[in-house]
Amino acid sequence: MGSGSWLEIPPGSHFSLANIPFGIVTTPSSTEKHAAIAIGGHVLNLHEFAVRGGFSGLKEFTAAHSAIFSQSTLNDFAAAGQPFHQEVRKYLQKVLAVDTSFPEVLKNNLETQRAVLFLRDEVTVHLPMKIGGYTDFFAGKNHAYNCGCIFRDPKKALQPNYLHLPVGYNSRASSVVPSGTAIRRPLGQFLENASASRSTFGPCRRLDIELELGALLCKGNKLGQPIDVNDAEKYIFGFVLLNDWSARDIQAWEAVPLGPFNAKTFASTISPWVVLKDALEPFRAPGILNEAKLHRYLQEARQDNVHDIDLEVQLKTSEGETATVSHTNARNLVFSFAQMIAHHTVGGCPLEVGDLLGSGTISGTEPGTLGSFLESSLGGKETVRLSESIHRKFLEDGDTITIRGWSGTDSSSLVGFGDCVGTIEPALQVFE
Amino acid sequence: MAPLKSWLSIPSDSHFSLSNIPFGIITSKYSQTEKRPAVAIGDHVLDLQAFATGDGFSGLPSLKPHLSVFSQPTLNAFAALGQPVHREVRKYLQDLFSDTTSHPQILKDNTALQKSALLPKHETKTHLPMQIGDYTDFYAGVNHAFNAGSLFRGPANALQPNYYHIPIGYHGRASTVVVSGTTIRRPNGQLLLDPTADPKVPTFGPSRRLDIELELGCLLCKANPMGEPVPIKEAEQSIFGFVLMNDWSARDIQAWEYVPLGPFNGKNFGTTISAWVVLFDALEPYRADKLPNETKLLPYLVEPRNDTVFDIQLEVDLTTPDGSTTTISKGTGKNLVWSFPQMIAHHSVGGCAMQPGDLLGSGTISTKDDSGLGSLLEMSAGGKKEIMLAGMDVRKFLKDGDTITIRGVCGGEPGALVGFGECVGTIESAIPFP
Repeated sequence: MGSGSWLEIPPGSHFSLANIPFGIVTTPSSTEKHAAIAIGGHVLNLHEFAVRGGFSGLKEFTAAHSAIFSQSTLNDFAAAGQPFHQEVRKYLQKVLAVDTSFPEVLKNNLETQRAVLFLRDEVTVHLPMKIGGYTDFFAGKNHAYNCGCIFRDPKKALQPNYLHLPVGYNSRASSVVPSGTAIRRPLGQFLENASASRSTFGPCRRLDIELELGALLCKGNKLGQPIDVNDAEKYIFGFVLLNDWSARDIQAWEAVPLGPFNAKTFASTISPWVVLKDALEPFRAPGILNEAKLHRYLQEARQDNVHDIDLEVQLKTSEGETATVSHTNARNLVFSFAQMIAHHTVGGCPLEVGDLLGSGTISGTEPGTLGSFLESSLGGKETVRLSESIHRKFLEDGDTITIRGWSGTDSSSLVGFGDCVGTIEPALQVFE
Repeated sequence: MAPLKSWLSIPSDSHFSLSNIPFGIITSKYSQTEKRPAVAIGDHVLDLQAFATGDGFSGLPSLKPHLSVFSQPTLNAFAALGQPVHREVRKYLQDLFSDTTSHPQILKDNTALQKSALLPKHETKTHLPMQIGDYTDFYAGVNHAFNAGSLFRGPANALQPNYYHIPIGYHGRASTVVVSGTTIRRPNGQLLLDPTADPKVPTFGPSRRLDIELELGCLLCKANPMGEPVPIKEAEQSIFGFVLMNDWSARDIQAWEYVPLGPFNGKNFGTTISAWVVLFDALEPYRADKLPNETKLLPYLVEPRNDTVFDIQLEVDLTTPDGSTTTISKGTGKNLVWSFPQMIAHHSVGGCAMQPGDLLGSGTISTKDDSGLGSLLEMSAGGKKEIMLAGMDVRKFLKDGDTITIRGVCGGEPGALVGFGECVGTIESAIPFP
């Protein structure tokens, strides 16, 4: 089966014609950040496209929208609302379709092609949105259970509140960086061992990953005005992969009673291409069943409130050897983003365009399906044999972690996220 | 400290004496939509945008390339110019208002500029002074930490083992920070009516334990790149200035949600800050020693000097819906075991990126005795004791229609007070939930 596009899209590409994710790039011809979409091995610069009248075939694209893709973030485009995103995406699919009814716009227009199409390797990706608030949730029930078992009796692994509300914490917006940003091992305070009477200061010794899904918002609410759980999906712009890098030793020492802090604030990586809500709509699925009777504000009418997305984590050592760390699925969530949004705002908290919500670490139940090294190493007790030569408890300097995610089984129409990558740099020399 | 005298009539008990010069963001009666920077002086406000346009800064030529910062809707651009510039601008404005000013022609004798730029305070409205990218709340008020901890765990286990080793903190929600005067709506949420029941089944409804938290806020003026900690010796230079803060809290919502990830909806419904940012320099004469910390601190937290907190007289008033007011707390801002420079050094030690406009909260400030407690939780001994109010009314936690006013001022000499104005909020009833 062909890719459906006049542009060559390799089979197995995450950026098939069924996707059309949005991002922010700089290109060889411009150091100014502009909006773009990813398509196959290419990137289509939407600013150049708009300037050249590329949207002339889309009646919903009015003069008011002329500068929308010239901004350095996608926030204005997101704020234009889901109906507009849908129209733009459909139109771009039509422009790129092999039997396009707009051949003069791009297919037969070599001059415009030269100005707007770039190879993905040629461009630099940046943060897709200006993120005013970043909240991380804990809705991966298997992860919560596995972590609880490390510290407690399995019967008490989940806290009494766990199934009643989507537990979350405010994280640090300034820590969010785009895929490809180097991640420096943090310095901090931790206890060397359980019986230590004084804390030690130095490079984190238990550096971990957290495989998560991120949702970016296109709409906000006013202070004091909660969002109804059955309306909440209208607030979602799209999704990204998220690696919530964590320093487990720093976390253990600081987290009681106010929660994780420096353990998380040194960096959080997101994939650069925002997959619009519409693109993932065909892949809806029910999540993990919640046995608790939920309060009305969390009762979501639709059962298929999460997504069927294959998730994979790969590790590459500084010597270039690779191994798969984990393979799981984004269905492994007990709360949906709609429920997280409803809970986040139930007391009146304002959310805004560009806010990022993290799902919490997504894990399956078996070895090889876990979203963090904390779980796979059983709290640092066991070394994980990722391959013949790669053994790990936690991350080492020089390790590169790549998270990938995709939906669909037809290799000509996958909807995926591209890569969410980070390489660990050694900690700063202890500076005193 | 001898009062600086002004040609402008400034009431002797004003928080905004010539020794202060705090910065804020205003709109005014005749310009209601354009937010712009200003300073408060006595019962007046100097509109810095009008002042700059009217050549008010002509006596400070070094500022000429930067005048556009006074046309911004927040103080972030001004703050980013750095402490040396803030210092110069403050000294310059003090000189212009001095009765022995070296530049009388710029303002003292310039009735036209006074008309356009020197506005009566009652003709202006204040707004959030900065665009706050991230807000972090710390826990450095040891007396509060001890009191609250004792209520939940008993005195022997009141403070966690980490307390004296780390200035612990958590991320607040920046979007909930509002300026003094904003109404605060009682939040709905999940609460455990009976914490001893087993299994625990929460109810849902308006919070029944709505509380205040008396804090100091610190706003930053300097950015550190991600991955590069701020050394403790330089941390004071990251500070733009200070505000009063009320970290409104819903204790019942907090108690049910906070394990293991910390406070969330219990705090996310509103956080009030006072409107006028008191610059670091204005508080310099009021330095005081921190509360003692016997722990041997790790070097990244060791300060070159111990007087890195401030002796600010803090006061909390509760006004009931029928209008009667009681002062429920009288304390001091020096009741902190960690300073803001230590919080900044700790916050950035792992490489966290901080920026101009970031807000740090000190944590609830309480006295050791009952005279200056920072929360109703403490004043009511966990909701067990009634707080006596004037007019025979009592409280354990806040009722709808209550107004809380926090005030803070340094110094006692009339004409030389350095104060924060007020940090006010009134509680509105929870919205009825369908």
